[in-house]
This record gives sequence, C-alpha cells and structure tokens, in this order.
Amino acid sequence: MLEIRNLHAAINGKEILKGVDLTIHAGEVHAIMGPNGAGKSTLSAVLTGHPAYEVTEGEVWFRGKNLLEMPPEQRAREGIFLSFQYPVEIPGVSMVNFMRTAVNEKRKYEGQEALSAIEFLKLMREKKKLLEIPDKLNNRSVNEGFSGGEKKKNEILQMAMLSPLLSILDETDSGLDIDALRIVSEGVNRLKTPDNAAIVITHYQRLLDYIVPDYVHVLANGRIVKTGTKELALELEEKGYAAFE
Amino acid sequence: MQHSSEIRIVAGETRKMVLLNEPSLSLTITQEEGSRLVLHIIDLGERSKVKGERRKVENDITVRQLGKDCTTELYGLAYVRGTDEVTIHTHVFHEVGRGISRQLVKYVLDDEAKGDFYGELRIAKDAQQVDAQQTNRNLLLSPKATISTRPQLEIYADDVKASHGATTGQLDEAALFYMQQRGISRDRARNMLIGAFMKDVVLTIDDEAQRNELIETIDGIVE
Repeated sequence: MLEIRNLHAAINGKEILKGVDLTIHAGEVHAIMGPNGAGKSTLSAVLTGHPAYEVTEGEVWFRGKNLLEMPPEQRAREGIFLSFQYPVEIPGVSMVNFMRTAVNEKRKYEGQEALSAIEFLKLMREKKKLLEIPDKLNNRSVNEGFSGGEKKKNEILQMAMLSPLLSILDETDSGLDIDALRIVSEGVNRLKTPDNAAIVITHYQRLLDYIVPDYVHVLANGRIVKTGTKELALELEEKGYAAFE
Repeated sequence: MQHSSEIRIVAGETRKMVLLNEPSLSLTITQEEGSRLVLHIIDLGERSKVKGERRKVENDITVRQLGKDCTTELYGLAYVRGTDEVTIHTHVFHEVGRGISRQLVKYVLDDEAKGDFYGELRIAKDAQQVDAQQTNRNLLLSPKATISTRPQLEIYADDVKASHGATTGQLDEAALFYMQQRGISRDRARNMLIGAFMKDVVLTIDDEAQRNELIETIDGIVE
C-alpha cells in the first residue's frame, strides 16, 4: 500500500529525514517510536504534504501512485488521514460544515454523489455511536475550546467519517488521560479492517498496550535504525532510546 | 460626497440599524439616558469597475452618550476588493457615567484594496464607571492590499474600564493545511475561513431574516 524509499526531507534547509525506508501492506499496524527530534512528526508531515517540508531525495508510492506529486488534499482523498498531534482550532467553521465539506469532496473525487444534509447527519450519528463519542460538538466550531481529550476524540471521529486506507496517528496519546486513551484507541481498533493500515507514532509504549502493532520501528536521527515486533516496544520502554542516540 | 445625517435616540429607546453597501456617509447619533444603539455598517460591494480607478467610500460615525446607562454597539464589516478604498472612522464619546460601548470592526482586503480604520474613544472627566471596548481585526488576502488602523483613546475619568485591540494578519496556514488534510481543496478552505471571519460580525445582527440573508450573501461572495 505504501512504499517509502530512501526518503530525505528538510525544513528551513535543515535535513531531518536522512534516508527512511518503510513498506506497509494493507491490514498492518506499524508503530514508529523514537526519541524527541528523531523525525517522527516530520515523517507524518512529509507524507501528508505539509508545505513547510522539502523532500530532497527519495520516493513515496501509495497504491502505485506517486504520492509526492500530489497536493495535500489529493493525498487525503486518495485515503491518507493524519490524526494531528495538535489539532487546529478553526473559529467560525462548524464541525458539521467542515466534515460535510470534507466527506463530499472525497465522494466527488471518487465519482459518488454528495450526501444530503440528512444522510450526512445520520452517518455522523452512527460513527459517534460506534466510537462512544457524545452526540454534541456538531454546531461548535472545529476544535475551538475543546479539551485535549475532546480534540483527540474528534480526530478519530473525522477518521471514521472519512474511512481512510492509511491512518497516521501522530502522538495521539499525548495529553490524554486513561479514559480518553481507551476511547481513542478502541475507536482506532474498531475502524481497523483487512483493507486499511495504520502508522502509530508514539514516544511511549503505553499506547501500544491498546493498539497492538504488527511491527515496531525505531526512528533515530532521521533513519529507521531497528525494526521488530511488539516486544521491541517493551524493550525500549525498559532501556530507553539511549542506545540509538 | 458624504451623505450626512443626525439621529437622536430618546431615553429608554433601543435603536437597531443595519447599513448595507451605503455610499459615503457621515452620521451623528446622540443617545439619551438608558438608550441602546446597535449599529451595523456592512460594505460588501465592489465598486471599481475600470482597472486603475479608485473608488472610495468613507464612513464617519459619531456617537455621543449624553445620558447615563446608555449602551452603544458598533459593528463594522468591509470586504474590499479591486482598487476600492473603504474608511470607517468612529468617534464614541462617553460624556456621562455608567455607559457601555462595544465596537467590533473587521476588514477583509484583497487585490490592491485599501482600508482605513480610525477609532476615537473618549471618556469625559466626570464619566465614571464607563465600560468601553474597541476591537479591530483585519485580514489581508493579497500582498498589495493595505490597512491603516489607528485607535485613539482619550480617557479623562479614573474609574473606568477601557480596552482596545487591533490585529492584522493573513489566513491561518495551519488551519488551511488541516482542512486540506481532510480533503478540502485549498481554495475551498480559504473561502470557508474568509466566510467565517466575516460572518462573525453578521451573527451579531438580531433580526433573523436580515442575518440569514447576509450570511447567504457572504457565502455567495466567497464561493
């Protein structure tokens, strides 16, 4: 599904990713762990097309298409979803308006008809129920005044609404209490199918108790320096990242 | 030419006015004890039809609170495009005590448009316990658009609350990227953010029909 080859990327002329190689197949969950500043968030920014980052070398293929040639919105419509570490507040744009626009732009891209207001609200209610997210927030501005936990739940709700093929969860556990962590990770687990995949970026092993990865990669100094199974995460928890820094 | 008029709001009266796409005007409003004024000045028109032509609209609003316990709410919204220029000058005079004033003026400036906000707020020596706020927010959509903003506070009383704030900026890049990451095109995302910035003013209009009509107008403009 996703193939990253020798990916180098820089921000403000400073190279952060220094040759990342990673292959992800449908149905897999990959955890990316590593010390602060290793390039974890840069990887998610580059995959989603953040304009501040420049790819200086390498290739990224998503379902046979050259991802790096696409603007961010096209990558999203192709099925890449990023759960932001810091979800952005958008004053004056209601959740319903925002999500309905997003869902319908994706449907249009796929050649499907737009959802009516009623169909859309029904879908939103279903997804909220599935994720155990209270049925409010609809008329509030996107993320505005949301608590840390509400913002992360809202990211997962958006993920459910858009049914992405590849979800990237960037430090989704940061700032979550244990209940919010459970709701968020159970949500992610419920959305998992044999056809989709996830990249879980985290500094801590804790999240991986809930979202069990098939593979664990250690990203350090802009490269994947070690790959293992979920036991590697436990080892990292015990020994820290010192060996890789 | 500025159209000039005077309005008197008698004691206890509430007066609501929405001025939409008016030509230049000069308005002086006096408020008597316990009266309330809610005034919206909204300019969404594009006037310069010929390239290089500069059409200028000047709004000059003076409000005098002559009696105690008056409330003044002034809202301004200008979406200025092409080579148009829109000025909004406000003069709010608290002549006596216990008055409240709220001002919110927003500009969206595109192309080579010009904006000019001047906000004079004066609290007279004996006008104690006045609560006055003035806010000016400007959104620049083009590098050639300009705004001049000049708050002018003159406070002669000592037991008052008075605040003002002015910000000028561009569209929030973080918000644009967030929206694009959800599959919304950059143009559409821009339009949604511009619309939200403008509707903030329109949403303060009490009359539902008028409010909805303006929201539709804004949707039409930004899409």
